Amino acid sequence: MTDFLFFIEVVVAGLLAGTMYSLVALGFVLIYKASSTFNFAQGAMVFFAVLAFVGFMELGLPFVVAFFVTIVLMGLVGFFTERLVLKPLMNQSEDTLLMATIGLGFVLEGLAQAAWGVEVRRLDLGIGDFPIPWIIDSTGLFISALDLTAGLVAAVLIIGLALLFKYTKMGLGLRAVADDPGAASSIGIPLGNIMLLVWTAAGIVALVAGMMWGARAGVQFALVDLALKALPVLIIGGFSSIPGAIVGGLIIGASEKVLEVYVGPYFGGAIEGWAPYVLAIFFLLWRPEGLFGEKIIRRV
Amino acid sequence: MTASTDNILEIDAIEVVYDGVIAAVHDVSLTVPRGKIVALLGGNGAGKSTTLKAISTMLAAERGMVTKGTITYDGKPVKDQGPADMVRLGMVQVLEGRRCFAHLTVEENIIAGAYSRKLSKAEIRNELEKIYTYFKRLRERRKSQAGFTSGGEQQMVAVARAMMAKPKMLLLDEPSMGLAPQLVAEIFNIVNTLNQKEGVSILLAEQNTNVALRNADYGYIIETGHVMLHGTAQSLLNDEKVKDLYLGVSKEGRKNFRDVLRRESAVHPDFHQA
Ligand SMILES: Nc1ncnc2c1ncn2[C@@H]1O[C@H](COP(=O)(O)OP(=O)(O)O)[C@@H](O)[C@H]1O
Ligand SMILES: [Mg+2]
Repeated sequence: MTDFLFFIEVVVAGLLAGTMYSLVALGFVLIYKASSTFNFAQGAMVFFAVLAFVGFMELGLPFVVAFFVTIVLMGLVGFFTERLVLKPLMNQSEDTLLMATIGLGFVLEGLAQAAWGVEVRRLDLGIGDFPIPWIIDSTGLFISALDLTAGLVAAVLIIGLALLFKYTKMGLGLRAVADDPGAASSIGIPLGNIMLLVWTAAGIVALVAGMMWGARAGVQFALVDLALKALPVLIIGGFSSIPGAIVGGLIIGASEKVLEVYVGPYFGGAIEGWAPYVLAIFFLLWRPEGLFGEKIIRRV
Repeated sequence: MTASTDNILEIDAIEVVYDGVIAAVHDVSLTVPRGKIVALLGGNGAGKSTTLKAISTMLAAERGMVTKGTITYDGKPVKDQGPADMVRLGMVQVLEGRRCFAHLTVEENIIAGAYSRKLSKAEIRNELEKIYTYFKRLRERRKSQAGFTSGGEQQMVAVARAMMAKPKMLLLDEPSMGLAPQLVAEIFNIVNTLNQKEGVSILLAEQNTNVALRNADYGYIIETGHVMLHGTAQSLLNDEKVKDLYLGVSKEGRKNFRDVLRRESAVHPDFHQA
């Protein structure tokens, strides 16, 4: 029975960690839908956002103020990305855009380190990375408070964004642009504003993910690689699907923890880093369009 | 009132170039009188879409540019506006190939057409109801994903979506493309009704000369970016050369006006000198 409890614990911890992957993957999906490009800068955005946040806190700004100032900063990053990078490249091939986002990633990494230095920062959110007593008492499960908080925050953000897309005018505009930017433009939907919205949303997502991860492992460059775990998530979930990003994140989160704990020892441990990619490759062979990859609707 | 304000659109000798080199339109002039339907006719590659995109300012997105001539819409020059500005000024283009938002429902597609207007939820519902009275078929399909509706329904969605922007002028690019004659008739019926009841002026690009002229007041025939002939729809329908070339009455396989003119000048060597 304790073995089973332990298994549940591993799965729950994995799912909670997975919500973070879902969240970051969501940032990719947004930009993929709006500009049909895989935003390689997303990892750098996570790093940039949380480093800026910690930097603002070090300057003495209160938590909430630092949070909103960082969001504004990410909005600005989105604005300049739209104006200086995406707009001039609007009619270029998707490969060109991809290269541009890789370049943007390097620029953000460089800027972040130039502005805030290279050493690992501590980020204390006031939430410990240890089990919550009442959950132990009631279920016998050891669930970390930080994991649980991260899971809840990610869930709230994801639901919020989903509602925004489904029920607001901006959301409708975004979905229209995702389907056909030319047609969207022909009925007066301003592509620039939609891009700005998308990049700002991706920036917020990046900041939150960076904060949650940074609180556990320190704010450091490794966050960039952590964020790139969204790639296997997207392969599993499908690049253009919001539900796919969510489910894919949970699958990656849970399976990498389970594999780490039960299979890891045979490989000498630490397989978390690459297990998701192996999983993704199997998925690619089995279902190249991803679990939720939207069926490409052909025009009649 | 001066003559020019009776025309909602005046195009004067425009030249359009793609990528800075490829001239797609060389010399097109045309006018659309307020409240009328004008057909822009010509075969594939004649420059119809390019002309429409020059007017709606959607050219820039394809690296195209008006390099000569002027376009005047509603008394004001079309110069630095973008597509969103034009929509706000009441000029909406329905692009060639329908271009619905495939993953949105029919109703979401139509509502998206109101993006440029500041409407309350209730006002949007009102407008929707009005649109559905013209497009009855779409009311039944309102909850369907647009990508899964038929070609005819998608064309209706595209026109309905454009009407949701409350246009003074519509640019329709080949609405008959790929549709069965009965559906083409249905769509042209709706277009005519919109023109009469809503007073919307229409510039209609078509390869289907017959249907277009039967539904238009005036027509222009263009070839390789030049206006070859223009006149009232009735006069064009009765024109021998038009019958010959575009209305499928001819038994010979001549392709365009140039050939006809060349032939005429060959048969009558002093045709041009006369
Ligand atoms: N985006 C573009 N870039 C370069 N050339 C183009 C582009 N669009 C159209 N053309 C060229 O311009 C000419 C006119 O095309 P178009 O306006 O689409 O004709 P139509 O709509 O009458 O079929 C054609 O020779 C076509 O190849
Ligand atoms: Mg065309």
